[in-house]
Amino acid sequence: MSVVSRTVAAIPVRTSVAAWQAVTGLLAPAGSAARGRLEAVTNIAAILITAEYTQQAPIVVIPASGPRVRIRTSHGTDAAETRAGEIPLAASPCAEPGWTMSLPCGIDDIEEIRAALDRHPGIEVRDVTDGITVDEPAEGPAAGEWSIDYEEMERP
Amino acid sequence: MSTAVYVNTVTYAATHVATNMLGSIRSIVKGSGLDPARIRESWDILEDGIATWLASRHLKAVTLEVYDPRKSGENLVGRFDFTIDYGYYPGGDGDLWLDPDTVAYAIRKNGAFPARCEYRIVADTAPGRPDVRGWATTTYRSTTGFTRHVVGTAIGGGSLGAGLAYYSRSGT
Repeated sequence: MSVVSRTVAAIPVRTSVAAWQAVTGLLAPAGSAARGRLEAVTNIAAILITAEYTQQAPIVVIPASGPRVRIRTSHGTDAAETRAGEIPLAASPCAEPGWTMSLPCGIDDIEEIRAALDRHPGIEVRDVTDGITVDEPAEGPAAGEWSIDYEEMERP
Repeated sequence: MSTAVYVNTVTYAATHVATNMLGSIRSIVKGSGLDPARIRESWDILEDGIATWLASRHLKAVTLEVYDPRKSGENLVGRFDFTIDYGYYPGGDGDLWLDPDTVAYAIRKNGAFPARCEYRIVADTAPGRPDVRGWATTTYRSTTGFTRHVVGTAIGGGSLGAGLAYYSRSGT
C-alpha cells in the first residue's frame, strides 16, 4: 500500500469550514456522491480542524483502490506558506465506492464526535495519538502521478 | 505590496479571532455541562457570521446565553460575553494567540449548569452589518439580578482582542 500526503492551509488563512471545503475539494469533484458525503460532515470536521487535531495527525482516506491519502492541516504562521504550495491530487481517492475515512480527534471530544458520525457510515474517528496501520510499499510511485512520503508514514 | 500584506494581516487576524472565539464558546458549553450538539450542528452558520462581522468591523460582542426552558419569563441562568476591542493592539501587528487558561478559569468560576438548561449564541453588531445566512434579529435576555465578572482578554490577533466576562446571580 502506498501513501500520498498533502497539507492544507487552515486557520488563519481559512476559517475551519473553508479549510474543510479545501480538503473536500482535494478529495472529490464538486457534485459527486463522494463530495456530498464529505460535505455532510462539514461541521464535525470543522470542529476537529479548529481544535488542531488535524495538524497533530492526518485525515486518512483509504480508497477502494490506489494509494492511501493522508491530509494534515497547517495553522498559524505556517498556513500562509502552505497555501502557496498546495498541490491537487492526481486522481480522486473517493471516485470509486468503498472508500473510507479516518478523522483524528482528542480524547476529550472523541465520544461526542464518534456519536455524531454514527449517521455517516464509512467516516470514522480515531484517537489522535493512535497510528493507522500502513503496509510496506511494494514498489515505487508511478511517474508523474504521486509520491511516497516515508517520513509521513512514520508519523502518528 | 504593502497594501496586500495589510489586507492579509487584517483578514487573518479576523479569521483567527472568529474561529477561536467559537472554539472557546464550545469549550465553555462542554465544560459547563451543556449539550454540545447545538453548537456543533450550527457551526458553519456561526463561524460565517462571526468571521464576516469581525472582518467588516461590525461585531461588538458574541454572547453565550444559557437559560432554563422550564421557567417562564426571565429565565436566564448564566451568560458569557466575548467583547471585541478593535484597538487592543494599537500597532496592529500583534501575534495571533489564544489563552485557554482564561477560558478555563471562567468555566471553573462559573460552575456547571443543570442538564435541562439550553443555550443560544447572540452576536451584538453595529448598524449596517452585512446579512449572513442563518442569523435572525433578537434581543438579549434580561440580566437583572446578575453580576458581570470580567476575566480578561482570551484571544488576540493583529489589532484585535476578545475579552471574556461571565455573569453570576448576584449574592451567590
